[in-house]
Amino acid sequence: MFRFRLYWTFTKKAFLRSAVYRFDVWSRLGSNLIFLLMWGSIWTALYAGREEAGGVSFESMLTYIVVSQFLSGVNGAGTPLWEIQEKVRTGDISLELMRPFDVPLRYLFADFGSVAFYILTALLPLYTVMFIFMDLTLPSSWETWALFIVSAFIGFLIRYCIEMSFGLLSFFLVETGGIVDVFYFAMSLLSGSVIPLWFFPGWLEKMALYLPFQGIYYIPNAIFIGKISGAEILLSLGVQLFWAAASYLLLRFVWNRASQKVVVQGG
Amino acid sequence: MSVLKYFDLYFKLISAGVRAQLQYRFAFVMRIVGLITSYTGTAATMWIMLYQFQELGSWTFYEMLFLFAVAVLSWGFCIILFFHFRGLDTYILNGTFDRFLVRPINPFFHFMAMKFDVASFGQFIFSIGIFIWVSFELHLDWTVGKSLFLLLSVVGGILIQGGLLVMISALAFWTTKSEQFYWVAMFPARNLTNYPLVIYPKAVQWFTAFVVPFGFVNYFPAAVLLEKETPFFPENIGYFSPLVGIVFFAVAYYIWMLGLKRYKSTGS
Repeated sequence: MFRFRLYWTFTKKAFLRSAVYRFDVWSRLGSNLIFLLMWGSIWTALYAGREEAGGVSFESMLTYIVVSQFLSGVNGAGTPLWEIQEKVRTGDISLELMRPFDVPLRYLFADFGSVAFYILTALLPLYTVMFIFMDLTLPSSWETWALFIVSAFIGFLIRYCIEMSFGLLSFFLVETGGIVDVFYFAMSLLSGSVIPLWFFPGWLEKMALYLPFQGIYYIPNAIFIGKISGAEILLSLGVQLFWAAASYLLLRFVWNRASQKVVVQGG
Repeated sequence: MSVLKYFDLYFKLISAGVRAQLQYRFAFVMRIVGLITSYTGTAATMWIMLYQFQELGSWTFYEMLFLFAVAVLSWGFCIILFFHFRGLDTYILNGTFDRFLVRPINPFFHFMAMKFDVASFGQFIFSIGIFIWVSFELHLDWTVGKSLFLLLSVVGGILIQGGLLVMISALAFWTTKSEQFYWVAMFPARNLTNYPLVIYPKAVQWFTAFVVPFGFVNYFPAAVLLEKETPFFPENIGYFSPLVGIVFFAVAYYIWMLGLKRYKSTGS
């Protein structure tokens, strides 16, 4: 039984709590902008006066990277992985097991709250200004906007499920340092967050297209700049939905095993 | 106390720390593997980026690798010596900082010697490997002078980045916050230096040369060693790297001591 109102309180609480930690919001935005500066400069230098590369114009590429950084701001605003791991390490997570709610859903709904606060107060105002003053390409139809938002949302769910599953690995491993590094690297590269997949060497592009990460950044970004359009968009959304379901099942599986382990150990 | 005594003490203090870290052998190996993988990941990103484009601001893939390896090497030593400085706020808040004040040695030195992170051997292995590879690919001729210059500029880089960590930690004396400043300011800013500074807007280049001198950590010295041009800056400005390091670190140390005086006067 899913009790929406119960989880909605977590969303509201997280929203209000974010308002208290305003320094966090501003500092997070600062670092987001430094990375935007970095990738914007890199792509400007790579194009180096060229009008287009890989069938994509310079303006579209710049738009891609700005949207990508916006989305990485969105994806980074939730509960950080290390906080979950810290809870596992200290045993605090066992307290949450005793309460009458589902822990993965509880964190997801709390993340909705903090992400909403971050989008409204920091990301949207700033990136709107950027879209007004920079030479970027906006989708021309409202359908594309809508599809982009849907796609970005599914991407958020995929990222959440995969990242949470990884965080829960600390139930089974004492030290997850190395694995987490590999995971973050795979996610940042294969999701197309900094280099769109069409610039990859052929074999790597093929590999990336068979993995769930592309659903997080590549697909929504590509929809936004019009690299994929028409029926292709629906196909991509289908792929995203497939991976969202698959990663949700993964999270369920890992969580069931993890919570059993806590019970066995006696919390 | 004489300098020699301080050296002796430093090694005694850190060897205890190293032995403690080696107790958890699995964790130790995992961290080294993890560090090497994530640096290899950045290198792979550069490779993919240049797969289509060949050049970034007139730097080729191997030149960029070299630039990156210089940054990683000095950062590795910097982690060993200074990385724990970013967490000074936790010591102050927990009250555990006071133990550094009651001993008859310099508190800065004592705090510095408290930790010695052996896992940064990952950085060491990675960058030495890259140096060897790139030297073959670019046919670099390692004369004594060049090797010595690389060594000195790595020292410069350690002092610049270490100095910044020290300054960030000193903020804790005034604001009781420091760790966060590292993650939101220094961590992203350090990422900028993985790429040749020439690609950034002029104002950013100027800032990273003369305000927070990250440019002297790897960009300017690497440009000297690879004989690359550094537009907007005097030719061979990289030779100043060790000097910039010393001056910057001295300023950082002065600020830290100033903060320490303030900390005492609040008497918590």
